[in-house]
This record gives sequence, structure tokens and C-alpha cells, in this order.
Amino acid sequence: MAEMTGAEALLGSLKAEGAKHIFGLPGGAILPVYDVLYDDPDIKHILVRHEQGAAHAADGYARASGKAGVCLTTSGPGATNLATGILNAYMDSSPVVAMSGQVPSKFIGSDAFQEADMLSVMLPITKHNFLVRNVAEIPSTVKLAFEIAIADRQGPVHIDLPKDVQASKADVKIPAKVKFKRRVNLDPEPERIREAINLLTKAQRPVIYAGGGVISSNASGELVALAEMLGAPVVTSLMGKGAISEDHPLALGMIGMHGRRAANLAVTESDVLLGVGVRFDDRATGDVQHFAPKAKIIHIDIDQVEIGKNVRVDVPIVADAKRGIAAITEGLRKHAKRGKPSEWLGRLEKLRKEFSPRMDYDEVPIKPQRVIKEIMGVLNEDAIVVTEVGQCQMWAAHFFNTRKPRHFISSGGLGTMGFGFPASMGAKVACPKCDVVDIAGDGSFLMNSQELATVVENKINVVVCILDNRYLGMVKQWQDMFYKKRRSAVCLGTTPDFPKLAEAYGAWGDCVTRPSEIAPKLKEALRCGKPAVLDIVIDPDEHVLPMVPAGGRLDQMLT
Amino acid sequence: MKTRIFSVLCENAPGLMMRISRDFTRRQINIDSITVGIEPSGMARIILMFKADDHMAEHLYRVISRLTQVINVEVLDPKTSIVREVALLKTKKMSDKEMWKVVQQVEKAGGRILESKGNALVAELSGNHEDIEQLVQTLGPNVLQEVARSGQVLISREMG
Repeated sequence: MAEMTGAEALLGSLKAEGAKHIFGLPGGAILPVYDVLYDDPDIKHILVRHEQGAAHAADGYARASGKAGVCLTTSGPGATNLATGILNAYMDSSPVVAMSGQVPSKFIGSDAFQEADMLSVMLPITKHNFLVRNVAEIPSTVKLAFEIAIADRQGPVHIDLPKDVQASKADVKIPAKVKFKRRVNLDPEPERIREAINLLTKAQRPVIYAGGGVISSNASGELVALAEMLGAPVVTSLMGKGAISEDHPLALGMIGMHGRRAANLAVTESDVLLGVGVRFDDRATGDVQHFAPKAKIIHIDIDQVEIGKNVRVDVPIVADAKRGIAAITEGLRKHAKRGKPSEWLGRLEKLRKEFSPRMDYDEVPIKPQRVIKEIMGVLNEDAIVVTEVGQCQMWAAHFFNTRKPRHFISSGGLGTMGFGFPASMGAKVACPKCDVVDIAGDGSFLMNSQELATVVENKINVVVCILDNRYLGMVKQWQDMFYKKRRSAVCLGTTPDFPKLAEAYGAWGDCVTRPSEIAPKLKEALRCGKPAVLDIVIDPDEHVLPMVPAGGRLDQMLT
Repeated sequence: MKTRIFSVLCENAPGLMMRISRDFTRRQINIDSITVGIEPSGMARIILMFKADDHMAEHLYRVISRLTQVINVEVLDPKTSIVREVALLKTKKMSDKEMWKVVQQVEKAGGRILESKGNALVAELSGNHEDIEQLVQTLGPNVLQEVARSGQVLISREMG
């Protein structure tokens, strides 16, 4: 036991959890904590320019590192500005511990200056949230927050910290352990595993559908081993990109609205579909009545809420993805040797060749597919690709071959424009040795471009590649396709000049208009020793194709 | 749609009722009755009654079970449980003759008179939902000034 203030207890507790970075922005109700941060040598505080950026940065940090990201703000507007970023982390099951100041306890509920009812605001958009009432509660609350964020299906946790609690003193002890009951059995039921093995050994056309759960449980090795043992192709959700190297001969790429045709057809033709760490989201399945219509579906997920929620499931397996896959592989090993489904693999090879994504366009204005090809050519396999949201995101998801887990970071469930740039900042802080590239659209980038100040000040050298078409491109695409080309409120005009914007912040900036210029300029940007913005002028009329219209069938893509 | 009953054992923490009820609200499910009591262990037991189809009931069961402060959720069947509700009924002012009739109706239903003053009275009835519903209907809006109902509490008949 030692006497300390709430603020000291908070930082001590964060350090005990191994937190080394905080993304934040101070204000009146969090001053006691910032006063202690002032001369704390062990925690690096990164001052963002908008609190939404802090939440996305903590989220990006978590996704790249697998450890909880931490963000900190003041009360009221500072705290509500976190909300979009926290919901984004919740939808994509990303472990973030968010903290904000609150008005002093005696003023709570009085509409005091910069008071917001954060307990209510955060409640539906976090895995769990707390309001601490006294200093003694702080260490156990912080410990519990990290446990909850990381345990089972991961997610964000918010702690509301009244100012008087930060400032008052008490004898407290930072606990090594805290009482916390896990909600789920991580191990699968043996009977279910037997059922799954029974289906998989009889399957003629098996497909594995891997999602973000494979990545968060670090199960890539197990996934690839199972796929190779079965000779089963692997398709992924957006969140599952990187669960298997997309250069692997069994990897067919992403499925869904903007998935690869071979992947969508494989799912449609499959007779056994093994979904792992996926939630069968509507953007991935299209019309659920026609999703994998011939297949028996096995579903492994750590969250029982997801099982049977969107599609009918024949074999439900509530388990950690890593343990679930390993149990199946282990069981299969004991089975008599079986041949690879060579006819099926032959069929898929044919589909893959027939529908291989075309990227070798030489036109000016540049085709976005070519941009992705050039970026892929320049980056090594350790580079982390982060995306904004919209057309840029879907071009990256469809065309970019991700080679490692945690190396493709994108806002999946919420589709948050403005996510990519601050998230890339978080990813770079977590993995300073990796090149980090944000594949951005001009619309999305502008939503959090103020973080250029943060990356320049803190020498966080990320590269933003703007696929610049001067449109809210995905909205425009839907208007072109489904609203008689009536482009309502989607043109972004000619401002700003992105290289000049970058230079105004002290970052590197340049613009390219020809395909041959992309690779050399990107290399220059990566080597320039500063954060960089590469403005790539692309064909404004290009659509993301192929496409399954909302609610359409995966085997009926518009091309 | 079928009436469903969840008996939710959970930590006795501020905001937990909101955490649970908002899972219903966002799915547009109306809670017919919600009651909270504290168990001898200090845990809270929340009893919820609502109508939902099988798929939604199963989904809500899993969603509520997932909450951090929820220990477990029991699905109760009204047929194998003891169900009780308490109602307090305040009448308007009545003639002596009317009052006499009301007293008889209350007593016939198994209720009792708690107070009577200036030709109005307050009665209490404890019973199952239907018993109470029936008395409220029998007395009707011409007699009743105000009705306060506890919501339904229930406990499984299983012992030990």
C-alpha cells in the first residue's frame, strides 16, 4: 500500500498493464492526470489534434500489435468526440482502453460545464464501461478494463474519471490479479468437433471462410495447416484479410460485395463451408437465402451470439478460433489418409485464372487498379497497409495481396471515413520498423487530415497514398449505378492542393498523374524521413467492380 | 407471439438495468414486466417478461448472457414456476351502495381492503397476472382512479 493520488494510481495501473503509449488530448476535467504525465518517463503521450484521432490511433495500435491501445481525453466534447472511434473498435472487436475526465463527483448530473453523461453514451458502444467513484477503485478498474478488452471476443472499454477522484489521495495497492470470470469456454466441445470432422472428411468441395477472429486469436498458422491438410481453399472476410497469405496457392481472396469472383463462386459451389471467426456480415454474404446454398455450414466463433445469427448453421462450435481449428486438425490427423479434392481444386484454379483481377492498365488518368499494383510492387511483406473507407478501401481489399496477419487494417463493420490516417499513425507507433501506408481517398483523408500535425511533431513517418478522384467515390458509384447517374452532393471540387496541405504541416508532399511515376515517388516518400502525402490523380469515373448489389447473390456479380 | 421469461442473476451495479433493457430497446422488443430484487448473496435478480419469436428469444438470451456483469440467465416457463404480481387499486368516490359492491368484488377475488376514507378505498390483490387483470377489468375505469402494479415475480418450482 502506498499513498497516492487518483492520477498517480491511474498511471501506475496503466504501466502495470504494460501500456507505453497514450493517444490523447487534455482539457479541464483531466488536468490532474496530465500533471502527473508531465514528468513520467515511462509513458509516451502522443498529442492528437482531435479526439476522434486518438480513438482511431489506439484502435490501429491494437490491431497492429495485438495489445490494447490506450486513449485519453477530457470530459464533455473531448469524451463525445471519442464515440465514433470507440464504436468503430467495437464493431471490429478491437481492444481499446479509453479514458476520459469527468466533472467533479458533486457536479455530476447538474449539467455542469463540459459535462456529458458518458456512462450512458459509452454503454451501447463498448464491451463494458465504468465510472470510478473513489481512488481505491482505480487500480482494480484499470486492471479489469484491460482484462475485459483482451478476453474472449475483444473490444473497447471506457473508464469515466471524475476530476475530484483524480486529485484526491488514498492508500492504494496496484493488484497483480483481479477477480474476473471469463464468459466463454475457449475449448470446443469434442462432440461438435467430431461432427465437423465427419462433414469435412466427406466433403467434395470444402471451403474455409476465415475472419477477423482468426487474426485476433493469432491462429494463422493453424488455419494454413488445416487448409493444407484438407486441400481446402481459403476465402476471407474484409477483417480476415491476412489470415492466410494471399499469395498462398489455396488463398482465393476476399468474398462479398466487392470480393473476388473466384472466391464468391467457390462459396456458392461449396458443399461444406467452415466459417472461423466470422460473423457472416451482410456485405460478405449478400442474399443469405442464396449464400452457400449447397453447403453444410460449420461455424467456429468465440461469441455464441454470432452463431446462427445471420445464416443457418449445421455444426455450431463455440470456441477460440485457434483452439477450434487445432482441434479439427488434430482429429483429422487420426483419420485414415484421404486424397485432396483434386477435381475441386482444378475447378478453382480454372476460376482463379479466368477471373484473376486485372490491374495492368496504362491509361491516364491513372486507373486505381494500377495504383494498387504499383503499391504492392513497392512494399515488402512486412509493410502494414491501412485503408480509409469507400472506393479506395474496396480497391485495396480486392486487389492488394496481403501476406501477413495484422498487416491489413481497415474499418469493417462501421465503415468509418477518417479512420485510416489516424489508425496508420497508431500502427506505426506500435510497429516503428514497418513501413505503414494509408491507402486513402481524398474525401476520407480530409476527415482527419489535422493529424498531419501529430505525425510531423512526433516523427511518425507514415505515407498516405491518396487515390484522388475529387469525389465521395463510393456514394457517386451507387448514384451512377442505382440513381440514374444523378450525382447529388458528391463532387468535392478542386480544393485542397494535397501536396501543399502536407507541406504546410511540414510533411513531404507530391503529386503524380502517370502510372510510371507511382513507384518511384512512393519509394521516395517512404525514404524521405518525414510523414508523406502522395497525391495520385485517378480516373474519376472508375467504379469498384465486380460488385454484388446490396442483397444480391454472390454468384451474380455486376462486372 | 409467445411470452418469454428470463431470470437474470447479475452483479448489483448501477446501470445494469439499462444495459439489459437497451438490448431489448434496440431490437424493438417491448418489455411487459421487469422487476429487481436483491438475493441474500448480494447479487441482483432481474425478472423480465416479454414477447418474442423463437429466433429473437434465443438471440436475446445470448446477448444478455454475454454482458460482463451478468452471472447467468435462466429461461423460466410460467407453467413450471410460481408467478405472482401485486396490485394496489385506488377507487374514485362512490355511493355507499357502489362501495359495498366493490368491497365484495375485491374480497371475492382474494384481495383485501387496505384503507377506506370518504367513500373511496385502496385495495390490494396478489395473484397471477390473469387474476389481477380480471379484477381490474371487473371494476373498470368508472370505479378505478389509479392502479399500481408490481410487475411479475416468479420462482421455479424446482427445489434443492
